[in-house]
Amino acid sequence: MTAIHLQNLVKRFGAFTALKTMDLEIRDGEFMALLGPSGCGKSTTMNMIAGMENPSEGRILFDGKDMNGVAMGRRGVGFVFQNYAIFTHMNVYDNLAYGLRMRRLPEGEVDSRVRKIADFLQLSPLLKQPSAKLSVNILQRLAIGRSAIVEPAIFLLDEPLSNVDAAFRAVMRTELKHLQRQFRQTMVYVTHDQLEAMTMADRIAVMDHGVLQQVGTPLEVYNNPDNLFVAGFIGAPGMNLLKGELADSDRGLVVDLAALGRSAPLGPALAAAARSNGSRDIVYGFRPERVSLAPSGEGMTMPVVFVERIGARTVVHLGTDAQRVKAVFDNDVALEAGVSAAIAIEPGSVRLFDAASGHGIREA
Amino acid sequence: MTSLANPEKVSMADVALDDSLRAEDGGRRLGFLLTLPAQLLVLFIAVFPLLMQLYISLTDWSPLDGIGWWQAYELWNSFANYTDLMADSRFWSALGRTALVMAICVPAEFLIGLGLAILFVDDFVGKRVFYSIMLIPMMVVPAVAGYMFFMLFQSGGPVNDILSGLTGMNVAIAWLSDPTTALIAVMIADIWQWTPLMFLILLAGLVGVPEDQVRAATLLGASWWQRFRTIVLPKMKTIIVIALAIRVIENFKIFDTLYIMTGGGPGVATETISVYIYKVTQQDLIWGYVAAIALVILVALSILVSLAISRMNAAKGA
Ligand SMILES: Nc1ncnc2c1ncn2[C@@H]1O[C@H](COP(=O)(O)OP(=O)(O)OP(=O)(O)O)[C@@H](O)[C@H]1O
Ligand SMILES: [Mg+2]
Repeated sequence: MTAIHLQNLVKRFGAFTALKTMDLEIRDGEFMALLGPSGCGKSTTMNMIAGMENPSEGRILFDGKDMNGVAMGRRGVGFVFQNYAIFTHMNVYDNLAYGLRMRRLPEGEVDSRVRKIADFLQLSPLLKQPSAKLSVNILQRLAIGRSAIVEPAIFLLDEPLSNVDAAFRAVMRTELKHLQRQFRQTMVYVTHDQLEAMTMADRIAVMDHGVLQQVGTPLEVYNNPDNLFVAGFIGAPGMNLLKGELADSDRGLVVDLAALGRSAPLGPALAAAARSNGSRDIVYGFRPERVSLAPSGEGMTMPVVFVERIGARTVVHLGTDAQRVKAVFDNDVALEAGVSAAIAIEPGSVRLFDAASGHGIREA
Repeated sequence: MTSLANPEKVSMADVALDDSLRAEDGGRRLGFLLTLPAQLLVLFIAVFPLLMQLYISLTDWSPLDGIGWWQAYELWNSFANYTDLMADSRFWSALGRTALVMAICVPAEFLIGLGLAILFVDDFVGKRVFYSIMLIPMMVVPAVAGYMFFMLFQSGGPVNDILSGLTGMNVAIAWLSDPTTALIAVMIADIWQWTPLMFLILLAGLVGVPEDQVRAATLLGASWWQRFRTIVLPKMKTIIVIALAIRVIENFKIFDTLYIMTGGGPGVATETISVYIYKVTQQDLIWGYVAAIALVILVALSILVSLAISRMNAAKGA
């Protein structure tokens, strides 16, 4: 119910810069995921939004209002900590009721709201239990309930699912999304698990080393990564990124991939963009999922190095040490390490990046 | 070595396991026997003086009688010491005075110690220096502290000088000669000396309060006082009870500093239970009576402390 605007936000710890000039608008009621590897500054960003840390530079605006100097208790922010920070000396009920009691609401209203949220999060049978010995799965729901009950306009969750088991994580992904639809808060969700970000978020902000890399819908960042980092980080496995050189051929512009031979001709729009980019040194990118086996004589032929059968699908590693290609096939694909395979790349799925700057070369 | 998979070997192993179980049983008995002398010694050290005290408290024995304490039965007086005690108004007023000192000193030490501990949780310039200074009173030998305060509170002493400077009048209170001010002076000395201990224990407790829970409370809209009341205090409950128990027990026995400052006077104005016992022992030499007093106090204090601890456990279980 509140838009968040981060303006040129910088955070330094002594000489170390944890966050470099972050500019980000999070819309009213949006589910924004902050995604990035460990130590990239996700928690730091969240802590500044919540008011637990002060920015070194820049401003944080809630609905256009500068939050500088507004105490963390008065920002209307709900925060779910990475380790939950449940009040271990209270029972489940008192934990849930805490925020309402601090606001001095009448006990009758506190009770009805506690019961409502406990119902919603399936905590009702546990209300009288001491919270010190609850399982992680329950602590996690309790932490969400304790923040959600005061109906904050902004809900910040710092890796809430990183400690729970895989099966429960799947359940909670659905429930969190459901919770957000119900309460319509602006939600900022920190994670280093891209599956969580992809499945829940309206938009994803990808971060690395304190730098915001790209902001977009899950499909945008997946399909059109802005740079090499996002291309390699999003997707499991990430995008294939092969160093190459633009080369002219009788069939049009192709990419010379050294030991792997030449790529199929680039589409006309992409070829035009590549030409206008200027540099001949580029990185040739394509998703492992967009690779198929080509009839012999066609496509690029390369040795199979290693075959990973992961159940539903099979990941095949091909190419040379310098130019490694991953391809995802059906689980019954008849490839073994040592043989040669001819692969074809779905034409529309090719992405080019400037080798020097790492930036994506977008079709006009 | 060739018969690892041999079934016979397996059954041998089973037997060995059985044996080891039996050996463990025997081991317990052996362990008990080996520690028995030590246990008896401890029991003797703890229980013997108590029994001796109980025995003497039922007699009129005094070291001046010329008979050993074990012959005290010759002076058997049943429960006369105890009935005398009930009627001894000096005993009761000493007990009441002790309780009064405790009721003022311990809460004062607790509150000042807690306040200082709260200040010391956050960083400030010169924290380490102040920290060292804070601990000095605790390290001063009580007798030295006694003489120090004795001199501070003389009518021409520094306390009056400071008060004169502050008020602009010539203050010449004879602190230790007036019954009320003498008691106040004695309590100030005790608070000065023992607040640092409270401070130290409570600081340890405060530092142990999980920071993220305090932050969570802040984000849920709790004010400083609300956080203190609902998070910090409950987390510190155990350590607070321990700190209070230590000071209650110690303060009940208040003696050395006080005795040097006032000797229990003027009159009996600062005569606490320890001072009273000391005087009866040293001046009147009625050891049977002293034993009775000491025993009554021991029982009273034990009941007090165990009540406090059981209340704490009950609160924890809730
Ligand atoms: N109080 C601090 N003092 C100094 N450095 C800090 C402090 N807090 C964080 N950092 C550093 O800032 C960087 C970003 O930290 P942050 O906690 O934001 O990472 P993160 O993206 O949340 O990582 P994770 O996924 O591991 O939680 C890290 O390198 C960290 O070491
Ligand atoms: Mg983090």
